[in-house]
Amino acid sequence: MPVPNYTLLGATRGLLWLILGLIVASALLVAGIAVALVVAWPEVMAGFRDSPEFVDVTTLRLPVGLLLGLLFAILAGAAYIIRQFQALVASAARDPFIAANATRLRRVGWALVAVQLLAIPLHWTASSIAKAGSAFADMGGISLGNLLAILLAFVLAAVFEQGTAMRDELEGTV
Amino acid sequence: MAIVVKLDDLLYAKRMTLTDLSDRIGITLANLSILKTGKAKAMRFSTLEAICTELECQPGDLLAFEADS
Repeated sequence: MPVPNYTLLGATRGLLWLILGLIVASALLVAGIAVALVVAWPEVMAGFRDSPEFVDVTTLRLPVGLLLGLLFAILAGAAYIIRQFQALVASAARDPFIAANATRLRRVGWALVAVQLLAIPLHWTASSIAKAGSAFADMGGISLGNLLAILLAFVLAAVFEQGTAMRDELEGTV
Repeated sequence: MAIVVKLDDLLYAKRMTLTDLSDRIGITLANLSILKTGKAKAMRFSTLEAICTELECQPGDLLAFEADS
């Protein structure tokens, strides 16, 4: 059996923790803005008024609230995906061809579907409140990279399922 | 299980233990134990050859088919 590359696995583990940290920081930021939106709306609106990106700052409160809710859900989905990857990497050091990994990859696939579905209303909301062509209006939407990642996750889940069956067969061979 | 492994009978006939067989043919005791208890899913020709050589038997002496009732 080939020996796993522990340096690469260690680096991947570190990178996944870093990404998870960034997701948590982003979620805290989103939660902070949401709180500000509730408790200090006049000040927030004044801040938005100075920004040239928005169409009409007086009607921003509800769509921005919706936007933050969607962003929070997307970040939760991303954190869930990273947790699944962490479990996958942990098992890669021992034996990656186990039934749990096929399940994890299928969960990643469905989480990616959920994130992609949430990114569509996110784009609609962002483009309805921001001026066309601005970075804010380009937020979310359908991404080819995301669609390919969904496909890859489900294909990999099927590969791991097959690999697990083959491993079981091999282990029962004397 | 439909395929029955008669390793126990062959070992008894040769007055040999599973450990002896393991030492002589170079297959681990754990694997031979899996085979003896009928937990194996498949058997390599090389394993069959080694056992048959050591126990001076035919594959048919080691394996038998019993229909599930």
